[in-house]
This record gives sequence, structure tokens and C-alpha cells, in this order.
Amino acid sequence: MGMILGGLTLVIAGLVFFVVPPAEGLGYYVRIAFFHIPVAWVAVIAFCVSAFQGARYLRAHDLSADVKSAAAAQLGFIFVILATVSGAIFSKLTWGAYWNWDPRQTTIFVLLLIYGAYLTLRGAMPAGHKRARAAAVYSLFSFLTVPFLVFIIPRLYFSLHPSPVLNGTGLAMDSLMLAVLLAALLDVTGIFYWLHKKQTEKLLQEERL
Amino acid sequence: MVTITFTGVSQCFHGRQIFGPLEARLSGGKITAVTGQNGSGKSTFLKLAGHLLLPSSGSVLVADDGVELHKDALRQRLAMVTPELRFYDRLTARENMDFLLGMRGMTLDEGEYRDLLERVGLVEAAVAHSYVGEFSTGMRQRLKMAVLLASGADIWLLDEPGANLDEAGRDLLAAEMRQAAARGVLMAIATNDTREEALADETISLAGG
Amino acid sequence: MKPSLWQAVKLVFVKEFTVGMRFKAAWAAMFMFALTTLACVSLALQGGVLEPRLAAALLWIIIFFASMAGADRVFADEDTAGTLLALRLYGGAQPVLWGKMLYTFFLLLVLTIFITPLFLLLIGAEMAAAGAFVLALLLGVAGLAAAGTLLAALVTGAQVKSGLFSVLMLPIILPVFLPAIFLTAASLGAGEVPVGFLGGMALYDGILAVGASVLFDYLWYED
Repeated sequence: MGMILGGLTLVIAGLVFFVVPPAEGLGYYVRIAFFHIPVAWVAVIAFCVSAFQGARYLRAHDLSADVKSAAAAQLGFIFVILATVSGAIFSKLTWGAYWNWDPRQTTIFVLLLIYGAYLTLRGAMPAGHKRARAAAVYSLFSFLTVPFLVFIIPRLYFSLHPSPVLNGTGLAMDSLMLAVLLAALLDVTGIFYWLHKKQTEKLLQEERL
Repeated sequence: MVTITFTGVSQCFHGRQIFGPLEARLSGGKITAVTGQNGSGKSTFLKLAGHLLLPSSGSVLVADDGVELHKDALRQRLAMVTPELRFYDRLTARENMDFLLGMRGMTLDEGEYRDLLERVGLVEAAVAHSYVGEFSTGMRQRLKMAVLLASGADIWLLDEPGANLDEAGRDLLAAEMRQAAARGVLMAIATNDTREEALADETISLAGG
Repeated sequence: MKPSLWQAVKLVFVKEFTVGMRFKAAWAAMFMFALTTLACVSLALQGGVLEPRLAAALLWIIIFFASMAGADRVFADEDTAGTLLALRLYGGAQPVLWGKMLYTFFLLLVLTIFITPLFLLLIGAEMAAAGAFVLALLLGVAGLAAAGTLLAALVTGAQVKSGLFSVLMLPIILPVFLPAIFLTAASLGAGEVPVGFLGGMALYDGILAVGASVLFDYLWYED
């Protein structure tokens, strides 16, 4: 599986650098988007996976669900950092500032805080059912912020920050760009799936020791 | 009749197995002594029996005539005396009892309260105006017994119930235990005291390892 | 023989209140913390006038951190005193949660009533919309109580507690915190009051309280 994903990644990288034309108004900076969007997408997916596995743990007291939840959060944390950094660079290159609290930046920032809090909580407790339960409860409780992140933040900040932000549809995309972007999304999601499996196995092994 | 069934239960702590896999069955009207040296998991056994702890593997089933009891239904019928049980230091004995029993929907009138104190050998005048924080360990132990008796529970989990009690206190305890067992109360006592063991109908020995 | 939920909630509240009155350290720590922060802010400003938005942010930061110094005690105190086992044995999950949530709300409310007038006085703020201001405070504090009670129970098993509680709290409370700051700023004169935010805050407070109630069962009945 690693081989296939590696190959796909190379192909997509090739397409991004040699085939995709510079976007209007953004020039070659658009290349960052092919990294940034999939990575941010996976950061959100990982959050859902972590909460879902947490719920599974609470229902069945199955410690392997807890391990899956933890693995998703660990990877999610890395992905959310990558998304934040790549987003900040993109923002600097196109709008002149690394950070300007546009709605999506705020969303990703809250996600970063949640991942950080979740991992801190795990780090502060000894392994076992008690930690699993606390972690699961926290990941589900923090999931309650989702409606807010999706519905309220945009209103809060659009009104107060009239600075340049991505408009609803994002970049003006032609069909080639869209296809490459979709492929990149698929690829990065696959990479997440693969890493998640590996990380789960690793954590399970550590737990048995 | 209340029964507690342990099926293939083992318990790990920090990756170290404390006991198990263990098969056991406790039933109403019987006193079961749980014995074993320090660290063999006697207290853990009691917590598992009361669903205050989740086993690392296996299952603990508490049932009344085949109907499974859990959560509130179980807690309502459960009482414990353990060294780690503590009452509110800044409330009086009466306030502690009113609060804890009140949470189970029970109220004690003045007469019942006085009788109860007498039954466990506490002098009402001596405890009326002091906070539990000022009690001696022996008095606290007697207060634990008072709450146990007033709780109306029919599952008693006692962890070294004779600790901190004088000779008279131990005799009192033994008499109450026999009476309760005759009423059909399920009783488990974790102990290394030979006299308490002698009260038991059955013995589960946690030899460790 | 189960008592009604309300009766049991009342018992928990009264117990918390009685213990709190006899052991004032928890109260004192929280109030002194708020007072100290307020004094720092005021000293640093040296009588300068704050822009409404900045004033609102400062007020909420003071309330947030002062409540962090007190709200986690609802379970931490029981944990250190060793009374958690007795409470778990005799108290059902829902009465304990709602009783403690109510008490936390009450505690934070008293704190807010104490600190807000002082704050307004010290920074010399002009009130443009008192109704919205009071409602924003109420709803903000309700959110803090709802989330704080569950998280306080959550951290009882952790080995590092004090910092952890605020870390866990912040992302969850942001949805209440941010609109609260905007509303406060607006009611201190920074533009039109976005009344819709009040509804949003109330809704989110409700979600938090219900979520806490559902999840608390898992924390309470198993160790």
C-alpha cells in the first residue's frame, strides 16, 4: 500500500509542478494549495475519526478503539500543524500577512487547540480504562464545537475583518486543477489511512509491553 | 437473590498483572472472605464486584434473580466500608448522613438517628457538635458502619472493616454481619484477620501471580 | 426510593454551599485572583482610557482565568479530601453533575457581580447597552459552568491538574467566549449590539450542558 501511495504522490507532485498552469492572481503560489487543502481536510477527518473511535470505546470498553482514537489524534495534530504552517505561508505570499484570523484560520486554530488539549490530557494520565474514558469523553465533548466552527465563526469574523479572505468558492479553478486537487485529496486521505493503521499497530504493541 | 459472577477476570495495573484470570461467584445470604497477602488485589476485587472499576479483561455480572443490575440500579443497593472511604470533614456526622442517605431518597428522623448511633457505639452528645474532621479514626470507622447499616443496601463490600476498631467494636461488627447475612445480604470482606475469616461461609484466596 | 432529580440536585447544591462556607479558601483564592488581575490591568493602564473592544477582551480574560482558579475545585476538592468514593457510592450521576454545575454557576455569578462593577469603575467605561451586557455575562458564565463541571470531573484522574484544566477548557469555551467579547464590546459602545449572538450563546450553552449530562454518566459509573 505504501508503494502505491508513494507512486501516486509522485505523479500528483509532477502534475502540480509541471502541468497545472499558474492561477489567475495567484501565480505559482497556487501550488501550495494542492498541499494545503488536502492536509487541512485530513486534519478534520482525523478529528472525526478520533471522536468516532472514542464513542466506540465508550459503548464497548474496547481498548483497541481507544488506541485508534489516540492514533487519529496524534496524526491529526501533525496534519493540523502542517495545514496551519502551509496556510500561513500561502497567506503571507498572497495577502501579505502570516495570520489575519479569517474564519478558516480560526477554525484550524481551534482544531489545533483541541488536538493539543487532547494529547496533553492523555499524557497526564497513566494508560488504562480511566485514561481511555477521559480521552473519549473529551474528544466527544470537544466535537460539540463543530457546529460553532462551521456556522458561527464565519459570521463572527466576516463582519469584523473585511481584510482579503478566500471567498466561498475558493480559487478560480479550471477542470484540470480541480481534477488534480481531487486526486491530491484522495492521495493524502490514503496516506492518512495508511499511517493510521501503522500508528495503531505501533501503539498496540507499546501497550502490550 | 443477588449474585455477583466473575468470569475470566484479570486486572492489570501499569502493565503488571495483579490477579487472574479468576472465576468466582458470590451470592446473597453468604459471607465471602477474600484473602491474600498485601498487594494481592483484595481491594481491587471488591471494587470490581461493585462495578467501581472495570476489569482489564473478563466480565463481572451483578444480577438479582437473573436480572442484571448496573449503574443507578446497582449503586442504590450497594454499600461499602473501605479504608479509603471518607466523609466530609467539614460537615457533622448528622449532616454527612443526611446528605449521603438523602441522595438515595432516604431520611432519618431524630429517633432513628439516635438509635443508629447507639447501635454502632457512638455517643450522640459527643458527636452532635463536632465536624467529622475532628473524629478519631475509630469514630470514623463506626460512622462508616452507621451509614452502611442505614443505607438499606443488600450488597456489602467490606475492606478490612475491623480496622481501627477496638474489641467491642469488632464484636459489634461481627454481630451486624451475621444478622445481615441472615437477612439475605450479599457480603464480601477483604481481610487478613482470622476472626473475620471465621465468619465467612466461603473463602476466595488471591494467592497472587 | 429514588429521590426526585430536583431534590437530589438541591441536596448537592446545599452540601457544596455549606462546605464552601465553612472552608473559604476556594472562594478566597478565586476572588483574590480576580482582584489581583484587575489591579494589575488597572495599574498598567495608569488611568488611561481603554477602547471598548480591548476593555471587553480584558474583562473576559479576567473572568476566564479567575474561574479557572476556582471552577475545577468542585471535583478536585472531593478528590483530595477523599470523599469522591462516598459521593460516587451514594450519589447518582445526574444529581451530582447538575448540583455541582448549579453551584459553579452560582459561584462564578457571584464572582462576576463582584468583579464587573469594579472593572467598569476602574477603566471608566461608558455603558451603551446594559441589557445586552448583563445577558452576555450571564450566558458566558453559564457556559463556563457547564463545560467546567464536566472537565473538572475529567481531570480528577490526571497527574498534572492545574494547567491541564485551562488547556482543556479553552477550545471548548471559545464558542461562548468570542461572542461574549463581541457583545460586551458592543454594549460598551463599539458599534451595534449583535443581538443574534445572544441566541447563539444560549444555544451553545444548552448544547454544552446536555453534552456534559450525557457524557458524565460514563465518568461516574465506571472507574
